[in-house]
Amino acid sequence: MGREVSESCVDSLLTEMVSSYCDRFYANKPDLAARRIEAIGFQVGLQLSERYTMERPRFSDHLEAIKFICKDFWSELFKKQIDNLKTNHRGTFVLQDNRFRWLARMSVDPSPENGDLSQDNPPAENKAAQATSMHLYFPCGIIRGALSNLGIPCAVTADISNLPACSFVVRIKA
Amino acid sequence: MEEYPEELRTPPVTLISIVGCPELHTTISKHLHSEQPPINTLALPDFTKISLFSKPEPDDPSPSPPIGILKRDWLSKHRTKIPSVLAALFSHSQLSSDPAAWLQVCSHIDQIKTVLRPRNIKLLVAVVLSDSNEDVSEDRMLALRKRVDLDSKYVVVFNQNEYSQSLQRLGSVLAELANLYYRDEGRRIKLRIEKKTFSSPGLELHIRYCFKVAVYAEFRRDWGEALRFYDEAYHILRQMIGTSKRLPAIQRLVEIKIVAEQLNFKISTLLLHAGKVAEAVTWFRQHNASYRRLVGAPEAIFLHWEWLSRQFLVFAELLDKSSAVIKNISSLVLATAEKPLTEWESRPAYYYQLAAQYLEEKRSSFEIALSMSETANEIDNSAESVVPSTYVGQFARLLEQGDIFVMQPLTDEEYIRFAVAEGKRFQDSFEIIALLKKSYESYSNLKVQRMASLCGFHMAREHYAVGEFNNAKPLFEGITNLYRQEGWVTLLWEVLGYLQECARKQGAVKDFIEYSLEMAALPASSGTDTQSFRFKNCGPAGPASLAQREVIHKEVLVLVSGESGLASVENSTNLKITVDNPLHLEIDLVSPLRSVLLASVAFHEQIIKPNSSTLITLSLLSQLPLTVEIDQLEVQFNQSDCNFIIMNSQRSPLASMADDKQGRRVETSPSLTLSTNRWLRLTYDIKSDQSGKLECTSVIAKMGPHFTICCRAESPASMDDLPIWKFEDRVESSPTKDPALAFTGQKAAQVEEPDPQVDLNLGASGPAFVGESFIVPVTVISTGHAVYAGELKINLVDVRGGGLFSPRETESLSMDSHHVELLGISGPEGEDETQLGTDEIKKIQKSFGLVSVPFLKCGESWSCKLEIKWHRPKPVMLYVSLGYSPHSNESTAQKVNVHKSLQIEGKTAVEFSHQIMLPFRRDPLLLSKIKLVPDPDQPASLPLCEKSVLIVSVKNSAEVPLRLLSMSLEVDNEGIEGSCSMQHEHETLLDPALLVPGEKFKKVFTVISEANSSKLRLGTVCVRWRRDSVNEEQSGSTIVSVLTTQTLPDVNAELPPLVVSLDCPPYAILGDPFTFLVKIQNQTQLLQEVKFSLADAQSFVLSGSHNDTVFVLPKSEYILNYKLVPLASGIQQLPRFTLTSERYSAGFQPSVNASTIFVFPSKPHFKVADMEDKRKESIVAE
Amino acid sequence: MIVCVAVVGHQNNPLYIQSFTEADDALKLHHIVHCSLDVVDERVNNPKKSGPTLNETFLGLLYPTENYKVYGYLTNTKVKFILVTTDLDVRDADVRNFFRRFHAAYVDAVSNPFHVPGKKITSRTFAERVSTIVKSFGSSSAG
Repeated sequence: MGREVSESCVDSLLTEMVSSYCDRFYANKPDLAARRIEAIGFQVGLQLSERYTMERPRFSDHLEAIKFICKDFWSELFKKQIDNLKTNHRGTFVLQDNRFRWLARMSVDPSPENGDLSQDNPPAENKAAQATSMHLYFPCGIIRGALSNLGIPCAVTADISNLPACSFVVRIKA
Repeated sequence: MEEYPEELRTPPVTLISIVGCPELHTTISKHLHSEQPPINTLALPDFTKISLFSKPEPDDPSPSPPIGILKRDWLSKHRTKIPSVLAALFSHSQLSSDPAAWLQVCSHIDQIKTVLRPRNIKLLVAVVLSDSNEDVSEDRMLALRKRVDLDSKYVVVFNQNEYSQSLQRLGSVLAELANLYYRDEGRRIKLRIEKKTFSSPGLELHIRYCFKVAVYAEFRRDWGEALRFYDEAYHILRQMIGTSKRLPAIQRLVEIKIVAEQLNFKISTLLLHAGKVAEAVTWFRQHNASYRRLVGAPEAIFLHWEWLSRQFLVFAELLDKSSAVIKNISSLVLATAEKPLTEWESRPAYYYQLAAQYLEEKRSSFEIALSMSETANEIDNSAESVVPSTYVGQFARLLEQGDIFVMQPLTDEEYIRFAVAEGKRFQDSFEIIALLKKSYESYSNLKVQRMASLCGFHMAREHYAVGEFNNAKPLFEGITNLYRQEGWVTLLWEVLGYLQECARKQGAVKDFIEYSLEMAALPASSGTDTQSFRFKNCGPAGPASLAQREVIHKEVLVLVSGESGLASVENSTNLKITVDNPLHLEIDLVSPLRSVLLASVAFHEQIIKPNSSTLITLSLLSQLPLTVEIDQLEVQFNQSDCNFIIMNSQRSPLASMADDKQGRRVETSPSLTLSTNRWLRLTYDIKSDQSGKLECTSVIAKMGPHFTICCRAESPASMDDLPIWKFEDRVESSPTKDPALAFTGQKAAQVEEPDPQVDLNLGASGPAFVGESFIVPVTVISTGHAVYAGELKINLVDVRGGGLFSPRETESLSMDSHHVELLGISGPEGEDETQLGTDEIKKIQKSFGLVSVPFLKCGESWSCKLEIKWHRPKPVMLYVSLGYSPHSNESTAQKVNVHKSLQIEGKTAVEFSHQIMLPFRRDPLLLSKIKLVPDPDQPASLPLCEKSVLIVSVKNSAEVPLRLLSMSLEVDNEGIEGSCSMQHEHETLLDPALLVPGEKFKKVFTVISEANSSKLRLGTVCVRWRRDSVNEEQSGSTIVSVLTTQTLPDVNAELPPLVVSLDCPPYAILGDPFTFLVKIQNQTQLLQEVKFSLADAQSFVLSGSHNDTVFVLPKSEYILNYKLVPLASGIQQLPRFTLTSERYSAGFQPSVNASTIFVFPSKPHFKVADMEDKRKESIVAE
Repeated sequence: MIVCVAVVGHQNNPLYIQSFTEADDALKLHHIVHCSLDVVDERVNNPKKSGPTLNETFLGLLYPTENYKVYGYLTNTKVKFILVTTDLDVRDADVRNFFRRFHAAYVDAVSNPFHVPGKKITSRTFAERVSTIVKSFGSSSAG
C-alpha cells in the first residue's frame, strides 16, 4: 500500500502488452490475443479487488459491489470515479467514464463530426477501432476479475462509440 | 436420562391420602389425578393403616455428622409414601346414628391426629352424605369440628347428590392444604438453613436442606424458589470438593459429581421448561467448565469421562425435548454481549457429539484401567456384593451377617474394582455409534453437512473398529464426496485409507484398486505440515505424503501385473487379478479417478472430407506419483471402423492381445509412458468414409495382462479442471502443444458428405411471363458414379419472403396464395408419363414436387421438364435438389445431395392501355366534367349517341419479341341495362404481328353508347400471343399461344346538352380565305342561352362576331359563320372558341387538337380520297 | 496459544492451513477448521442472528469446542480465515487485530503475480509472516 507508479509507465506497459500479444504472440489470431489480454486483466482485477476491499464490510448486494467498483476501485486505479452508472435493474450495468485515462492518449480521431468523412476509408477506421478495442480487453478483464472475486460472475464489454468517453457494460450472469 | 429414577426425572406431584368410605376412593383419586395440577392419591383401605405415616423414632437422637449428602430414598418417599394431606371420610351413618359409632369416629380422629402431628401432615375431614334427605345435625357437626380441631372450611360435606360439585370442592380444599403443607415444610427447613443449625463443615446438611426446600418449592410449583435453592445447593456442593474429607478420595468425588449431576439436571430442566434456552446453555457451559477438569485419581479417570459424557447426553436429551416444545429455536436471540453463544450450542446435535467424544475418552482410559487390573476374575467376585448405599452417589458392600445385611464402606481400591467390573458390562462402541448417529442425523437435518460428515466419519470409524465393514463403507463413501468437492486432501486421504482397508478386508479387488489409485493420485505431497502427522493419529493408510502415495502406487502396480496377489494381506487369494478375474475400470467425467488417467482428444480439423485423413491428437495425463507404463491403448470412436490400437513397442506383445485386434488398425508407439503431471501426446492420422459426426468416445488403456482402464475422452476446449488438483499450485500445461487447439479442440468432428459426382442442370431461358406455362428443363448427368434411388425434389419459394412452402402447408393454404404454381413435371422426351412405373414416386403440389430419378449408369443422363405457371408477376426461387446414393443395394448408405437453385423473374408479357376519343372537332358539353371538385376515381364519360373511338394498345413489356396472334374486345352485355355497340375488325390477325420489346400494338374500336347509363361496360380485351422464338420448329407444338385478358374500366355515358362542332376544311392555303363554321347544337328540349367568344389568332385574319349571346332553340342548331384568311403556314391554331352556357353556367372550349389546322404555303397536289382511306386502316401508329 | 490458522477459499477449499502444535492433532485441527465452515455458512446465510455484526468481516467466535476456540473472518471476496486457539480467555480485540494483520499478509501473498488466484498459497514469505503474527498474538502491543 502506498506505493505508487508513474502513470506513463502503466500506459507504456499496457501498450506494450497489447502489441506483444496482437502482433507477436498471436499475430493472426486476434481472438486468442484478446482472450489472453482479458485473462491478464482478470487476474489483475482479482488481486486488486482483494486488496482494495480490505477493512471494508462485506457487500450485501450486487449494486453495492458495483458502486464500490465505480467509486473506490476506480479512484484507486484512475484517480477519478466513474462518471455515470446506469442499470436496467435486471443485471445489466453501464459504467461510463467520460474521459477514460487509458484511451486519453490514443491517437484515434475523437471528433464525431468526421463520421461522414471516415466513410471514405472504412477499413482504416475499422482498424483503428479494432486497435482501440484491443486495449479495452485489459480494463474489461479487470472489472470482470474484481466482480468475480466479489462473487458476481459477469461478462464485461466496452463501448467506445463516443470517444474519449468509454462505457463498460457489465452483464451479471444469473 | 432414562437411567435416572422416575422421581428425579419428572417434576414432583402432590401426594395426599384418603381414608374411610373406601367405596369413594376410586372416584376421588381419579378426579384428583385429572386436576390441573394433578394430585396423586394414596388410598388407605381403613383407619388402621394410618400408622404407615407415623414417624419412626430416631435411633440416635444426638446429631451425628452426616455420612452423605442426599438420602437416596428421600425424594421418592415424599412422592409416594408421605402425603401432604390426609382426608378422613366419615359417612353420614357413622355420624348420625348411635353414639357408639360416634365414639368410633372420635377415636379415629384422635388416632389420626397423633400420627399426623410429628409429620405436620394436614388433615381434612369430609362428611359423606349419600342421600339428599340425609342431614347431619348441627351439634354433631359442631362436635366433630371441635373434635378435629380444624378450621371450619377443612371440614367439608361431601354430598353424593351433588357429586361433581362436591368433588370440585374437595379437590380445591385438598390442593390448598397440600400447598400449605409444602410451604410450611419448606419454611421449616429454610429456617434451619438460616439458623445454621448444622455444624459449619457439614456442608452436606446445608446442601440437603437446600435440596429439600427446592423440592418443596417444586411441589408448590414455585419454580423460581426451586431454581434458587437448587442453585445454592449446587454452589455449596462445588465448595465441598476441596474441603470434604469424609470419604476416600475417589468415592468422595464420585458422590459429589453424582449429586452435582442431579442438581444440574434439575436446574437445566427448570430453565428449559421456562423456555430460557440461552440461560440453560450458559448454565450448562458453566457446569461443564467447573467439573471438566476434576478428573480425579488416574485409575478412575474413566469414571470422570463417563460422567462427563452422561452430562452431555442428558443435556442433549433435555434440549431435544424442549426444542420440540419451543418450536423456533433458531429465532431465539442467543448471543448476549458478554457471553456470546454460538449457533451449535443450542442444538442437541452438538451435545450428542460431545457425549460421544467423551465416551470415546472413557473407553480409551477404561482400557488402560482394565489393563492395569490384571486379576480380573477376582474382581468379578468381590464386585458382586457391592450395591448403592442409602446416600446418593455412595456405594457399599452388602454383607450378610446372619439374617441382617450390613452395609460396609468400601476402600477406593475396592470401589475401582467394582467400577471396572461394572464398566465391562457395557459395549461402549454401540453407545458411541448411537450417540453419533443422533448427532449425525440432527446435523444432516439442519443441512450442516460438514459437522454431519465428521460425525459420520467417527461413526464409520467405530463400525470399522468393530469389524462392521459393511456398515462402515457407505458412511465413509458418503463423506468422501464432500471432501473431494471441497478439496480437503488430508481429510479425504484419511477416509480413503479406511475405505481401502475396508476393501482389502472384504476382498473387493475393484474397490481396493480404485481407492488405492485415487489415494495415489491425491495431491498430498508438498503439504508443509505433513511431518506433524504422527502415524498414530492417521487412518490405516498412514500419513498423507508423497512417500506413502508411492507405496500405495507400487502396491497397485504389483497387483495389476498379475504376478502375485497382495502378500501382506492374510486372505491374499481374494485380492488378485487373473484371467478369471480381470479388472476393468471406467473413468467418466465425474469420476474421482480422473486424476489417475485423463484422456483428452482433439481433432485438428473440425470438418473433414470423407476418406481424406486428418490428424487427431490424443493426450493422456496422470497424477500418479510413479511413472506408468501402458501396454496398449485402444482409441474408440462412435464409428467403430475408425477405432485403432496403439501398441507399446517396448513391450513384447502379449499373447492375449493378439486375437482381439484382428481387422483393426494397429499403430505402434515407441513409448507409452506416463509420468506425473506430464501430458503424453500422441498424434495420428484418422479418416472416415462415413459422413456425419465422428466422435472419439473413449480411450482404453491396458496395463498388465488383465487390467484395463476405460477413460472417457474429453475435448480440450471444454475440459474441466481436475477436481482436487485445481487448487494445487502446479505446472499446468495444455493437452496440445498448439494453444489454439487447446482452446478450441474438440473430440468430435463432422465428416462431410462425399462430393457428388453428378451434374444437375437447370436450363432456364429468361424470364417467365404471367399466364404462360414456363418450362424449366432439368438435366441430371452422372459424371462420376452411378445414381441409385435418385429423388428429385422441387421447391418453389417466394423470393420476397414467405418461406419455403412445405407440402403439408400448401395443402391447407388457399389457391390465392399461389401466384406461382408448379403445374407438372414431364418426363424425358419421348417418354410418356404413363410409362412411369406405378411404384415410381411422383408428387406434384402447388409449390412442391417430387419425382424419382431412374437408375443412371455412370455417364448417363436423364432429364425432365418442369412446367411452372405464374399468375402474378413476381420473382420466384426454384430449388431443385437431387438426393441419391452412389452405391446400389445399400439402404443404410447415406444419400448424396446435390442442390441447385434458380431465381426466375415472373413478368407480365403485355401491357394494355386504352384511350377514348370523341369525333373530330365535335365537342360535347359533358356535365359531369364541369363539377367543381373533380373526382379522380370518376370513370371517364362518354357522350351518349355519339360515335366515340376506343383505341386499345398492347405493349410488349417483355424482353423477348412476342408474336401477337389476335386481339379482340369481348363485350359482355348480359344483365346490364346500359350497353353500347362496338364495331371492330376481325379478331384474328391474318398475319401475326411481331412485337419487339417495348413496341406497341394498337387497335381502334368504335363505341356508340346507346343507353344513358352511369355505367357503361366497355368489355374485356383479349390478346392471344406467343413467344416469337427462333427455334420455333424445334420446340414444335410445345409453344402454345397464351391468352391474356384485361377488363377495361367502365365509363359513364351521358347525353350532352350542347355539342359544339367546328367545321372547317381539312387544310388551308396561305392567303386563301376559308369558311370556319361553329355549330352549336342544342340537344335538349329547352331554350339554351349561350355566350360565346372567339379569340383573335395571330395567324389568321377573321371576320364575324367575336362575342355574343345567342339563344339556341330546343333540338336545333345554331351556326356561327366566320371567314378566315391564314397569314402563316404550318400547323396553326385556329382562333379559340369559347362557349359558356348560361343554364349550366359552364364554359367549355373545343380541345386544342380540334382547333388546329395545317396551312399549306401553296395549294398542294394530292388526292384527298386516298388519305382518308389510309386513316381508316390505322393499324400502326407512332 | 494459537494452534491453527487456515485460509479457506470461496469453494470451501483449503488454501492454506498451518498448525502450530507439537501434539499429533493436526488432523483433528483440520476437522475442526473444516467443521467451522458450517458455522460460517450459517452466519452468512442467516445474518439476522449475528445481530450487530452484520456484514462485518470479523465473524467472531464460531464455536467453542471443548479444548479450542474457533474464530472466523470472511473477506469481501468470500475467502475465510479460521483461527483455532487453546486460550480460554481471548480478548476480542486481540482476535480482530490478528485477523487484520493476517488479512494484510494474505493480500500481499495473493497479489504476487506468480500466484495463481484460487490456488493454494505456497509462498514461504507468507508462511513466515503468518508465524510471526501467530507468535505475537495476544501480546499487548498491537503490531
